[in-house]
Amino acid sequence: VGLFVRMAKYYDIDDILAEDELVPAIFKVAANEVGLIDSSDDTNKVESGSKVELPFWLASELHLRQAVSVGFPRCFNKRTQEEIKADAAHVDLRNRCPYFYELGCKIVLLTGDKSIGPVLLVAFMTRYKEVLIKAHTTSLTVAPKSLTLLTNEEAKLYEAARSSTAAMKKWRMGGPRLQKASVLGRKRKPVE
Amino acid sequence: YAFRSLHLINDRKVQEVKGPDDKPVKNSDHYGALIHHLSLVRNKRCLMAYVYNRAEVIRSLRWVVENVLPEDIANKLSDAEKDYFKNHSATLQSYIADLDLGLTVDMVPPKDPYIKVRVLDEIGNVALSNQFTNLARHAILFLRRTDAEPYISQGLMEELTS
Repeated sequence: VGLFVRMAKYYDIDDILAEDELVPAIFKVAANEVGLIDSSDDTNKVESGSKVELPFWLASELHLRQAVSVGFPRCFNKRTQEEIKADAAHVDLRNRCPYFYELGCKIVLLTGDKSIGPVLLVAFMTRYKEVLIKAHTTSLTVAPKSLTLLTNEEAKLYEAARSSTAAMKKWRMGGPRLQKASVLGRKRKPVE
Repeated sequence: YAFRSLHLINDRKVQEVKGPDDKPVKNSDHYGALIHHLSLVRNKRCLMAYVYNRAEVIRSLRWVVENVLPEDIANKLSDAEKDYFKNHSATLQSYIADLDLGLTVDMVPPKDPYIKVRVLDEIGNVALSNQFTNLARHAILFLRRTDAEPYISQGLMEELTS
């Protein structure tokens, strides 16, 4: 089943971007000719024991092969957890990690850690309530400041709620129902 | 093709690190090569996803623009993509013909066989299902819904409700 899930997301752009997020990793072996990863010295290699930040896609493959051990990214540290417990709805998750939930889930799958799950759940439940309330009550033209605090997934939910509210209003008021296709979208000036 | 040659170079490196009894030794060269390999696979995934997602958009275009691609979209597609659109469009067309049912009309449930529209772009003389009409810019007309739908979809007309 795990393989199916991974394959289904192969082409998913959000999944690809989420796996670009950096996570801390400690090398358990040495690797040659990859000096880019550890720029703290001039050699073109990484020594065993080096602490680096790797994109998740690389870290997870190496972790599975026991070449590194993956730790928790900064966005899941004690400070963030405290802030979430205090007032989840106003934590600037986008700044910490726009793929907060996706990354959290992946890390749990990778390391089997049990402490992160409840944090994600609490954060999501509180924030989702806020997202829905804002989506249904704010007027269509004003974008509340809290949008900038939302992670990628939350922002999508917000947009979905907004557009269904707008559709509902439109249905009640009447109005043109045939529209220009969204696929043809905005015109972009061709690059000279 | 660049991919394949990078893969070959990487493979040769991995082969070099085989130990005396021909079993691969997991030393630092091995891990270096592994990291390069994983990077190549990652790049491949990014490229594949790009092409795949573009193909999805191209497929959905057919439901909007019928057979002919608007110029500003056509010059953003690669030749392979233009062929893809043509083939997909032809397949869909033959399916529609077999069903004898216009699938690309009435994308919104219809209320009225006729609607009032304003023409946004100069389209000129066209043959609609029951008349020849001049679709001049700014003209306000009563058209059959099914005639107007493709033009509205492409942003060349807008529906008026008052």
